[in-house]
Amino acid sequence: MKNNKKSKYSKYSKYSKYAPPKERLSEWKFPIDEKKKAEGMAAIHREITAKKIRHYPTFLENVWIQVKFQPMTHWIAEGGLLLSAMALMLWLTRIGNREYGKLMICSVFIVFAGNIALSSIGRLFSWHMAELEQTLYLDLKQMVCIRMLEAGLFDLAVIGLFMSAAGGSDQIEAGMYLIYMLVPFLWSDTLYLHMIGYFRNAAYGLKSFAAGMVCGILACFPLIWEEAYAFSHRPIWFFMAAAGMVLFICEIRRILGKIEGGDSVCLN
Amino acid sequence: MPELKLDRVTKQFKNKIAVEHVSLSLKEGVYGFLGANGAGKTTLLRMLCGILKPTAGEIFCNGTEITKLGGDYRYMLGYLPQDFGYYPDFTAKRYLTYLAACKAVPGEFAGEKVQEVLRLVGLEGEQKSKIRTFSGGMIRRLGIAQVLLNDPEIIVLDEPTSGLDPKERIRFRNIISAMSKGRIVILSTHIVSDVEFIADEILLMKKGSIIEQGSVASVTESINGKVWEYTAEAAEAIRLNDIFAVSNLKNEGDKVRLRIVSDTCPCKGAVLTAPGLEDVYMYHFEEVSEHVDHMEGRI
Repeated sequence: MKNNKKSKYSKYSKYSKYAPPKERLSEWKFPIDEKKKAEGMAAIHREITAKKIRHYPTFLENVWIQVKFQPMTHWIAEGGLLLSAMALMLWLTRIGNREYGKLMICSVFIVFAGNIALSSIGRLFSWHMAELEQTLYLDLKQMVCIRMLEAGLFDLAVIGLFMSAAGGSDQIEAGMYLIYMLVPFLWSDTLYLHMIGYFRNAAYGLKSFAAGMVCGILACFPLIWEEAYAFSHRPIWFFMAAAGMVLFICEIRRILGKIEGGDSVCLN
Repeated sequence: MPELKLDRVTKQFKNKIAVEHVSLSLKEGVYGFLGANGAGKTTLLRMLCGILKPTAGEIFCNGTEITKLGGDYRYMLGYLPQDFGYYPDFTAKRYLTYLAACKAVPGEFAGEKVQEVLRLVGLEGEQKSKIRTFSGGMIRRLGIAQVLLNDPEIIVLDEPTSGLDPKERIRFRNIISAMSKGRIVILSTHIVSDVEFIADEILLMKKGSIIEQGSVASVTESINGKVWEYTAEAAEAIRLNDIFAVSNLKNEGDKVRLRIVSDTCPCKGAVLTAPGLEDVYMYHFEEVSEHVDHMEGRI
């Protein structure tokens, strides 16, 4: 901007170090367009208010959300099962060396415990919730994974308890004991997971319970087939354990794939 | 402000094509998808929400494919499904708090937000009641409340007013209108009045394709000269009703005033009148409506 006003310091160059500081400041004061300044500030204010601070929950926060909002009945059932498992463990240590009897009891108990733990996944697919859950930040796939993790930890705790009480004896070595327990557990969990995706209506609780019962009853097959635990049948048990593991993984992949595709999620 | 782009989106279920080559660009405003049952509205909305994967074509949000955005896209999204899901053993407050947590609303704001949305839909007095005790209208209002929990920038509402009484319907329209600023609101319905007064753009869907798109004024303009009014005797009114698409029928003494949608003059004495959105709907969907009526045993 041109300044026509003559100052007594005008003989000095504007950059001159001899120019008195105050005079230099007043001469070099940058002209401010108040209107533009106000517009600029308003635009900045608009941007700031429009900006949303996003909160990205950590993995542990997501786990906590799923744990916190589980119905009380679920925790009562799991707590009750753990307590029963402990009581059973104490009883098993007292009944002496009836190893095959112990094994059968543990196998059936684990099947029921596993199915009850998995029932929380069925809840996600019930009452038309799956479609809505799939659009949330913590989506259906993540919810299923978290609940499977929770169920898996519960099953490990029960299996650990039984292994410490009954596993490993003169009659059955620890590794074999684990395989005998795992086979019915894996197969019934696979069957249960397969059925769980179809429970989408109000009768889900009843159907889920019925499916659990069926799987549990199937796990009692050594009662009918007395030679089931015979040494000569061990290769069959190994094969069944491997096949059960593969099928279980395939079933999990199938459920996650179905969620991703979405078609079956919407078939409420 | 988000921008959604659909590029030749197609969805096929076995032998049935539900949505076919839909290309759209959606910016700030209210978009009303109108169409008869089975037109493909719900399938399109499900694809927009990332629930269904398109068989062909892509959906972009601000230039990035929505499946690549993943959680970031869902962060912006508020969805009300046609079959709204809820846990009946939860109270309204617990249910909304759960969804707020799943929508990544920070814990310190969640409580306040839940109260705010409950107030907005008039359910604050029922927050401690189990959802299983709610009426259909209350459940619908709860559904609208959950949509707003995360201040979504993209709101997708599938048949949002079904089950609401007229007062609630007006209230809902006002809520949608008020929150449409700076957001994309996508609304699907077959109730014309739901979108007539609040939609910035109307999209008519038929057999999986968008057949008409534009403002209410421009869409109605497209059938200018095709809406007729005629006062007839009762017997003639029945005859005309069978032949033509009649968008309104009103008894006036012993005569009947008909509003007929037709390309040509339906009868001598019929006078042209200004079209409305319901007339547009009748013009495009009469055939389908008849089919639906047959299916439901009304004819």
